[in-house]
Amino acid sequence: MYDVGLKPSMLRSLIRQYLPAANQPLDLNTSCFELPKLVSVLQTHRLLSELDSHSVGPKLINAWKLAVDDWLGCLLSLLSSDMSDKCWVGICLLGVTCQECSNQRFLTSYSVWLDKLLSHIQPPSESQLVKIASCTSLSDLLTRLARFPEEGAASLLYTLITFFPASIHHSYDKVEAAIASKILSGKYSTITLKKLGYCLALLPKSKGDKDSWSLMMQKILISINDHLNEAFQGVEEEAKSDDARRLLVTPGKDLPSPLGGHTSLESGSYNRTSSERLPTATISTLMFCCCKMLTSSYPVQVTAPVRSILALVERLLTVDGSLPPTMLPFMNSVQRELICSELPVLHAYSLELLIAIIKGMRRQLLPHSAYVVRVVTRYFKICALPELRIKLYSIIRMLLLSMGVGMAIYLAPDVIDNSFSDLNSPGGEDFEISPVNTGPVLPQPSNRKRKHGTKTGSVEKQEGANPKGGESNIHQMTPINVKVAALDSLELLLTVGSASKSDSWRSSIDSLVIRTAINSCKRGWGNVENNVFLPNESASLWADFQLSSLRALLASFLAPARVRPPYLSQGLELFRRGKQEAGTKLGQFCGYALFALEVLIHPRALPLDDFYSAYHNPTDGASNRFPENTYSGSQKQNTLFFSAAQRTDEGAIKSHNDDLYNKWLENEHNAVEDMKDKTSRPNDSSLANVLEVSEQEPAAANADVHMRGEDEMVVQPRRLEEPIPKSQEIVSAKVDKSPPAVGTNLEGGEIESKKALSASDSLNDIDHDMLSGVNKVDDFDTVSRKTSSTLPNVEKGSSSMAHLESESSMDSFPNIVDADPDTDSDSV
Amino acid sequence: MNVVIASSSIDGGIGCWDLQTGAEQLRYKTCASPPHGLASIGSSFLACSQLRDPSATSGHVLYWSWSKPQAQVKSFPAEPIKPIAANSEGSYIVGGGSSGDIYFWEVATGRLLKKWHAHYRAVTCLVFSEDDSLLISGSEDGCVRVWSLFMIFDDVRQQQASHLYEYSFTEHTLRVTDIAMGYGGGNAIIVSASEDRTCKVWSLSRGRLLRNVVFPSIIDAIAIDSGEHVFYAGGRDGKIYIAALNAESSPSNNYGLHIIGSLTDQSKPVTCMAYSAEGNLLLSGSEDGMIRVWDMKTKNIVRMFRHSKGPVNNILIVRLSYPLNRSESKVQASSRRHEFSLHPPLEKYANSSDEDIDNKTIITLPDTIDLPSYLSSQLINDHIKQLQQQGSSAAAEMEVKRLKLDGQRSMEMFQQLKKVYDNLQEFCVNELLDGQPMDGSKGN
Repeated sequence: MYDVGLKPSMLRSLIRQYLPAANQPLDLNTSCFELPKLVSVLQTHRLLSELDSHSVGPKLINAWKLAVDDWLGCLLSLLSSDMSDKCWVGICLLGVTCQECSNQRFLTSYSVWLDKLLSHIQPPSESQLVKIASCTSLSDLLTRLARFPEEGAASLLYTLITFFPASIHHSYDKVEAAIASKILSGKYSTITLKKLGYCLALLPKSKGDKDSWSLMMQKILISINDHLNEAFQGVEEEAKSDDARRLLVTPGKDLPSPLGGHTSLESGSYNRTSSERLPTATISTLMFCCCKMLTSSYPVQVTAPVRSILALVERLLTVDGSLPPTMLPFMNSVQRELICSELPVLHAYSLELLIAIIKGMRRQLLPHSAYVVRVVTRYFKICALPELRIKLYSIIRMLLLSMGVGMAIYLAPDVIDNSFSDLNSPGGEDFEISPVNTGPVLPQPSNRKRKHGTKTGSVEKQEGANPKGGESNIHQMTPINVKVAALDSLELLLTVGSASKSDSWRSSIDSLVIRTAINSCKRGWGNVENNVFLPNESASLWADFQLSSLRALLASFLAPARVRPPYLSQGLELFRRGKQEAGTKLGQFCGYALFALEVLIHPRALPLDDFYSAYHNPTDGASNRFPENTYSGSQKQNTLFFSAAQRTDEGAIKSHNDDLYNKWLENEHNAVEDMKDKTSRPNDSSLANVLEVSEQEPAAANADVHMRGEDEMVVQPRRLEEPIPKSQEIVSAKVDKSPPAVGTNLEGGEIESKKALSASDSLNDIDHDMLSGVNKVDDFDTVSRKTSSTLPNVEKGSSSMAHLESESSMDSFPNIVDADPDTDSDSV
Repeated sequence: MNVVIASSSIDGGIGCWDLQTGAEQLRYKTCASPPHGLASIGSSFLACSQLRDPSATSGHVLYWSWSKPQAQVKSFPAEPIKPIAANSEGSYIVGGGSSGDIYFWEVATGRLLKKWHAHYRAVTCLVFSEDDSLLISGSEDGCVRVWSLFMIFDDVRQQQASHLYEYSFTEHTLRVTDIAMGYGGGNAIIVSASEDRTCKVWSLSRGRLLRNVVFPSIIDAIAIDSGEHVFYAGGRDGKIYIAALNAESSPSNNYGLHIIGSLTDQSKPVTCMAYSAEGNLLLSGSEDGMIRVWDMKTKNIVRMFRHSKGPVNNILIVRLSYPLNRSESKVQASSRRHEFSLHPPLEKYANSSDEDIDNKTIITLPDTIDLPSYLSSQLINDHIKQLQQQGSSAAAEMEVKRLKLDGQRSMEMFQQLKKVYDNLQEFCVNELLDGQPMDGSKGN
């Protein structure tokens, strides 16, 4: 198998076996179909490589050389055959030879091959297959040639990409015209059109200057615009097309010559008369071309008409086939149906274009980012097609990644709204379980669910629009792949944006994520192995969903938060189970997750180098010498300082001079203790006071809200004391934690809890997670059943807040000091 | 190659040294900078704000390309700009005005994209966050503010919001002298120093004060070690204090709570600092015109660079992707100069009259690498598939059926036509046979 000496004879036997002799007719059905086998043998054993290794004797080298000579002789005789099928075989194999042969041989004979191949492209009479094969072989030849830089063949490579062998620079306009006319005619298959579009996009590279790129871009945009003007007559207001035009062509400047020298309207009307269809193929190809232009490299900086492209995207996304209210319906229903049937494709390409812009502009998108976000979020509200939603989610992810924290703060509500509605709706598979079943597993999520349900109701009432029925219909069945996209977006949101201003949504997202993960893993693990009876995608779809849900779960654990992850134990259990699935991606990920979570359980903040040996003065005390020992008592993993602070606990408390140091400790202790401290130390600076108030407020106010049931009045005066104007968040954070408390109130009777609920609703302005189509009353009932069933569990419930509040309602303030997340860790 | 660049408040130019070898590189001429006025723009060129006369009502900003000692571009902003900063990509420059305004320029076009009133008094320092999405500014009025650039550019949201900033930290009582930001995106810490003799540690995620460290002297410069174990504070008493972040500190030490120790070599005030994670080096600039490089492991000075007689007030460590050799720079300069000359000066006013420019952005398209790949063997497979499809037995069967049907139909049609033809012929023959005598009778 590895014996080099065998190779020449192997090659010879291949020639005998597979290559048709010049005088024999070719039997298409036998020898021809065996070509792939021939190629694979050639490539596996590198039979054409003529390896020049030292171990090989000159005799063998010679034999090999002769064999390859024979091989080439055969090929060339096939090439010159007048039978097109033989020709085709020869051409194809010559392409493979270009790839496989030795450098020396390639350099000596490529010019001969080039001539031969060119001779097959030029005559018009050749069969289509032969032409295509020649082009491809030529491409391979040039690809090989491009490896020899001294040949200056790199430029030839671009020539090749555009399928034109002649020098392109001089016939730039001709090439443009040729490609454009083909695209504008729209009569080719999608793949061909895409290839043409790609070529058109790469065309400016042959000139390589700033202006040709911009000009090409402008021409393409104008052409798209003209096509749209025609297509959208009747479904959008006339003003729109004028606006778009104004952005494209600067007033006072000349209109560039139309794309490819054609007036696009001309060809458009030609198209329209020839068949009663929209020029979708043309428009989408041109948009694809824009995408490629924005994402392919270019030798110099270019001026991109960002605004016009964004306007184009917005224009396309706004048209949904409904008639604008201000217009008379002069469009007949056939035309409308036509547009509606083609719109999804156009929308998909618009989103692609948006993705291309984000990719191409990177950080420089900043001045336009607000506009992009508005377009995306607005479209997200109306978009119901799964493919488009998946694309939207990927756009969201790109935005989050490229624009960072500053963007995440503002994008969070929309991501959450949408992923909530997608993840909460029943899935396309019947794996999804009804929410009632989740009750015994997790008391929390159902409470959340009710909250969002009622919230949806109130929002709709306020807006007085958007009837519930329609909304729930749209999202009734969410396909699994949309859910995967939603989970991936949540994961990214948690990793990028959970540190800043996330109080309003964090707890609900955590519970949504754990619920989804538990549901997804409930029925065992998805089979990743290819099931021969199913197409590939559907087999691995469920496994993808599980993986995504676990990834989101890990993110929800690791993301900075102020409390210990409430569902950590359930999550660890899931990861442990998943880890046993050896050999799968999921098992691998679960192993990684367990590894990553170890830091969460044993937080550490290690010094650089041997900081202590150099710094520590021995009098500081030996007990402080090993700070890197993990301190497992600290729950709040985002306070890196906490563990350090805790360690020197006693020393700090003794030194009463520094109030701020005490403040730090107080964060981790409790509000009530603060109050005692404060009264005992009247000399506190105002700063410290403010801090203390902000610290103790959530707990204290919470207790007020739920004990008395009058929230607005209790909370409002406190807002004034807030040092930082984010009172709303604190308020909503309180509401987030309300459900367990409502549960305790429920003992008193249903009416009372209803009252508490509506009160929390009115408070809850920020946290408008929509749970579409959940009936308020129904939901309330199920939840009340559930909360009452889980009431006994409240004591050892998974939320530390549940503890705090149930105890605070008993007025046992001193106890709260111990109701630190520590107890939580014991119970879960 | 990591280079150290430093500038001074008196005209000593911008000094440039190789951090590894200590060799001095080019000195960029005519530069007298305010603190925080020096920036490397995406490591493609240097920018420095200039303020010769503190009472002047205008200043300017200069650009130097790495390869030339002379300043190449001079801009005249609307008011004196002291601190400047650039995002990591080098696409934007922000400058802080003496009126408290922050200016936001696009480098490629020089356009002033935004200007907003950020502080009541002059802006003293500007820092971009790790992901370039947040900007942190400090001011003479003691205020530290955090801005989301997304919000700055969202006119719609601004109208709904009560304020433009994300956080406003007002606990400093005097001028903010330096700001440093730690690691961790939205969960990072911000350390600020002020003339009120304190350094304060802020949490970006919670938006509030975490720690207050009181120093024996005013701190003009801070640097955070990359493990966020401690931060270094350079004081006007010439000492560099080491203050604890994650590190523990005992309450009973010489300097005060959280201060673990100090480095000292000089009596002149420390004016600026930079930290290099590679090799755990701390660089400090002093009023005596020297730049000291400390190895923080041993706490020893490992190198000293002499900048000038006057106080050094800016130090930056810049990683360059190409070596800055003088001989080589000439060769490369020709290729880079073209690109550098593309950067126009910064505009004085936001100029929105030219709508066309507003709509466009100069971008560098991403470098995509198209790996050449050979197609022939794939093509063989494709073509054979095509051929097989045409010749597949199932398809052939259908074709045969269709052809049979066609043949049948043709046969029928043929029969029909034949019949018609026969009829016609018979008719004609009959006609001829019949007509002959009639004609004959007529003719007769």
